Amino acid sequence: MKQAPMLSSAFLHPAGQTLPEPLLALRKQRASLLVDMPLPTRKTENWKYSSKYLKLTDEMAISLPAEGKAGNSLAVSGYKVVFRNGILIPEASDYPDMDGITIQSFSDLSNEEADVLALQLGSTLDHDQAQFARLNGARFDDGLLVRLDADAVLDQPLFIIHETAADTSGSAFPRIFVEAGANSRITLVEEYTSSGDAPAFVNTVTEFTLADGANVTSIRLNMEGESVQHIGATGVVQNHSSRFESHCVGFGGPLRRHDLQVRLVGEEAETKLNGVVVTQGKQHYDNHTSIDHVAANCNSEETYRNIAADQSHAIFNGRIHIHQDAQKSFADMNNKNLLLNNGAEIDTKPELEIYADDVKCAHGATIGQLDEESIFYLLSRGIGRRDANVLLTMAFINELVSQIPLEVVRDTAQIRLNEFFEQTFQEI
Amino acid sequence: MLSIKNLHASVEDKAILKGINLDIKPGEVHAIMGPNGSGKSTLSQVLAGNEAFEVTSGEVTLNGENLLDLAIEERAREGVFLAFQYPVEIPGVSNLQFLRTAVNAMRKHRGEEEMNAAEFMKQAKEVSKQVDLDPSFLKRGVNEDFSGGEKKRNEIMQALLLQPKLAILDETDSGLDIDALQVVSNGVNALRAEDRAILMVTHYQRLLNHIVPDYVHVLAGGRIVKSGGRELALELEERGYGWLGINDEDTSN
Amino acid sequence: MATTDNEVKELIKREYEHGFVTEIESDTFEPGLNEDVIRRLSEIKQEPEFMLEWRLKAYRRWLDMEEPEWAHVDFPKVDYNDISYYSAPKKKEDMPQSLDEVDPELLRTYEKLGIPLHERAKLAGVAVDAVFDSVSVATTFKEPLEKAGVIFCPISEAVHKHPELIKKYLGSVVPAGDNYFAALNSAVFSDGSFVYIPKGVRCPMELSTYFRINAANTGQFERTLIVAEEGSYVSYLEGCTAPMRDENQLHAAVVEIVVLDDAQVKYSTVQNWYPGDEHGKGGIYNFVTKRAACIGKNSKVSWTQVETGSAITWKYPSCVLRGENSVGEFYSVALTHNHQQADTGTKMIHLGKNTRSTIISKGISAGRSSNAYRGLVKFGPAADGARNFTQCDSLLIGDRCGAHTFPYIESKNKSAIVEHEATTSKVSDEQMFLCRQRGIDPEQAVSMIVNGFCKEVFKELPMEFAVEAGKLLEVSLEGSVG
Repeated sequence: MKQAPMLSSAFLHPAGQTLPEPLLALRKQRASLLVDMPLPTRKTENWKYSSKYLKLTDEMAISLPAEGKAGNSLAVSGYKVVFRNGILIPEASDYPDMDGITIQSFSDLSNEEADVLALQLGSTLDHDQAQFARLNGARFDDGLLVRLDADAVLDQPLFIIHETAADTSGSAFPRIFVEAGANSRITLVEEYTSSGDAPAFVNTVTEFTLADGANVTSIRLNMEGESVQHIGATGVVQNHSSRFESHCVGFGGPLRRHDLQVRLVGEEAETKLNGVVVTQGKQHYDNHTSIDHVAANCNSEETYRNIAADQSHAIFNGRIHIHQDAQKSFADMNNKNLLLNNGAEIDTKPELEIYADDVKCAHGATIGQLDEESIFYLLSRGIGRRDANVLLTMAFINELVSQIPLEVVRDTAQIRLNEFFEQTFQEI
Repeated sequence: MLSIKNLHASVEDKAILKGINLDIKPGEVHAIMGPNGSGKSTLSQVLAGNEAFEVTSGEVTLNGENLLDLAIEERAREGVFLAFQYPVEIPGVSNLQFLRTAVNAMRKHRGEEEMNAAEFMKQAKEVSKQVDLDPSFLKRGVNEDFSGGEKKRNEIMQALLLQPKLAILDETDSGLDIDALQVVSNGVNALRAEDRAILMVTHYQRLLNHIVPDYVHVLAGGRIVKSGGRELALELEERGYGWLGINDEDTSN
Repeated sequence: MATTDNEVKELIKREYEHGFVTEIESDTFEPGLNEDVIRRLSEIKQEPEFMLEWRLKAYRRWLDMEEPEWAHVDFPKVDYNDISYYSAPKKKEDMPQSLDEVDPELLRTYEKLGIPLHERAKLAGVAVDAVFDSVSVATTFKEPLEKAGVIFCPISEAVHKHPELIKKYLGSVVPAGDNYFAALNSAVFSDGSFVYIPKGVRCPMELSTYFRINAANTGQFERTLIVAEEGSYVSYLEGCTAPMRDENQLHAAVVEIVVLDDAQVKYSTVQNWYPGDEHGKGGIYNFVTKRAACIGKNSKVSWTQVETGSAITWKYPSCVLRGENSVGEFYSVALTHNHQQADTGTKMIHLGKNTRSTIISKGISAGRSSNAYRGLVKFGPAADGARNFTQCDSLLIGDRCGAHTFPYIESKNKSAIVEHEATTSKVSDEQMFLCRQRGIDPEQAVSMIVNGFCKEVFKELPMEFAVEAGKLLEVSLEGSVG
């Protein structure tokens, strides 16, 4: 038996010391657990298709400095928090100070506040499935805490822009924790962008806890550049009658991985997860989602679509787990994929694990081409084959993009998608 | 034949039937009318023994035998037949197989020989004609992809095959167009026999134009508030339920 | 409605029908596995040198391998040195030359199992190879088959009589080092059936092997090899039972099928190994590797399985679709009850152009059992125009069992199309009410509804097996309603 490769010890040394004491202690404790962390290989079930894309070198272990030019593409005028290389930049940020709503940098927390947070960080995630969330726990240099008291409503979306300035090799470990109190409401947008072309590693963790009746919309746009490897995890815990809606739009890169884990622990909670991925060239993207129906009477609906062109590789792994006694669960998962070229690869694994009998669960997955009949219909109306292909391929993901509830995000995504279609279909 | 005394029943601790009294003699056709939510369907379900309903007090006998002590299938074998308002689909199980199993269960109960497949097929085909269902329906899954009208005809066909002592028809007319209503009514009229009682539950009077009842009862708030002959139904059609002091949408229970 | 659930639970309680033990003197190896055991085994079978070499090589591979742990099953580690690797009824002299020479006790055993072997009562139209523990004890209808040019004999006999075919095809589909259990089987397989259908021949009757484990503490490691030459056709059936014993017993079989141009093989299994008692004690560990290579153009393999037995099932009958236009099918009913665990499914590997596959899987879980479908559908870069359709349905009976679906779908071809669907349901209260209102017993109602759920698979079975399978389901479900 070959020894599995281990995470280099170079990754175990956090740089920034500006965090309050309880968080520094937490980070240290998490780092001690990371010694001898095996790196995933082809035999690691949840990295089966992706381990070969993971290339961490010691040069990338060092935290990138919190400087460099801004590269965000969401031209927003509303509430905004800017992270540069994992550090919150107050000068670039503009967020409100409202009653019942805390929006604060981890570094600005008092020791008492940090004590509370230290108990919460990581609590929403299954780290055995999202192994790299552990690394973030040992390395985060800063983070954003959002707390909404009961009934608090953030009146405009909060944009969180993560910029990675990869002028030199290094890594960034941004972290977000959102606690939505009972019946509170928030829409939160995370955008991941980068500049520079030195090999960089971005390792993120975002967590949401939703108290009874809370309503959270989360939008995640992943648009980093070709030198950035990205491994992110989002953990969500939902209590009674809460509602969580997620829209993820991802563009491929040398390594892209997002784990989205939702636990429905209170009855009558609802979750809706949408995701779109496009990959081209030699890009990669791997979405792993899991929805745990722990409590009875919850609903989950999940729709993910992938398009892989050229020699790229897109992966979807969706898991629905209905726990014992989670009766009257409703879970529906759907994953459709388009493979545009023979050099490309799509792998999908829609899983059901069911331990209760009175449930309605279904999943469907397809990989295939555009519908020949639709193409024929367009051709018969005088549209050229290339245009027909582009139109139908766009329609394939627009069904999901059009559901994103913010115009500025839709537009931003659309511009990038148009570029993708231009490049992908130019030779047809 | 059927005797119901002071019957109370509830579902999930909510009282629906609040003291029903009713006697039906062999050969009689009784119609139970009433606004939505009056407890009509509950009464048919309770008589058939649906375990979702709890009988809290009262007495029901069929030919002197206490029905309430019997399990669902035992009541069926004693001759209680319920034509469902919403017939259930059982994918993959053919109508023929389903019916033969039912008929043979009844025969076995009566100490008779089981029917072989060929014999049964012949009989089933004849009966299916009576309700204007193509014999090909026998080979399809139980109610699988049947239209609303086909499902209802299928129910009456089953009644004709099983020859019950007491046939309870739960809103058998709902969702039927006039032609289908005629077919279903012909089937029900064919069921009428001296030794058989029929209990029809319906919201509308129109069914009673086709199947003329001997008695009509009005159910409201879980009780029979008025009984009469055929003319009561006509009066209801003309005047609605209001004159009896009942809202048309009775949700008082 | 609690009542219906209880009814369903009551329904699954009948005794295992085939749990009797045959009192017969046997030659049985001491438990333990090493190279000497393999040499002795090979010697008893008077195997040619190439077979011994093949076995030893497999054994050495096996020593370096690790037992797979990815399946959704949970059981104590098997001690491979605690198992006897050979057990055969004592025989007088040589192999029995005719059925008259077969020990009457053995004939009675098979008769009791519903598989009469003697001339007068042979199953019409089905040739049977009866494998008892480690050896084949009888094969029926040898003559008419020989006339047609069909070879149907114990694999131990084929090693002697047809060494060139064995050398060419044994391990060609499932190499010795394919997986842990396949390697173990390659090292110690004792008997099984060999089938060869020559070019253009449609096998005149169904072929069938009936596997019986009798001896205690013995593993059964049978090996089946089917070769269908160009344009040939065969339908092959397999049945399995074992006595009720408190200890778990290991069954690690390998089935290889080679299908050449325009040939078709239909392989049906009714697996009813002893499943253990209602507390999960005893039962067979059924770790099986089954694979078909559709080498030829327009070749076709169809796997149909009804799995109701075994304490643990680990089994993925697969098709490697290499030939252009080749077709793979997998129809499965897996029923688990009490503490049974099943992790079963298929692999459809599309390599050739216009290859097609269909997967219909019906899982039924009752009691405290766990039932998983695990499947792989893979399109290689050259699989232009390939198609797969997969339908996985689970039915849960009671709220203490598990039903799982783990499909892996991989595509590297832009013109390949795969559609996968999965659903989960239960026997609904409304269905039960309707059936009972028509006078049908709750047990009969559940069995009827479950049979309906499995209909798409049962219709793929040869007639006599379909009836058997329906009955088996009924028996296996007994006590699941209450």
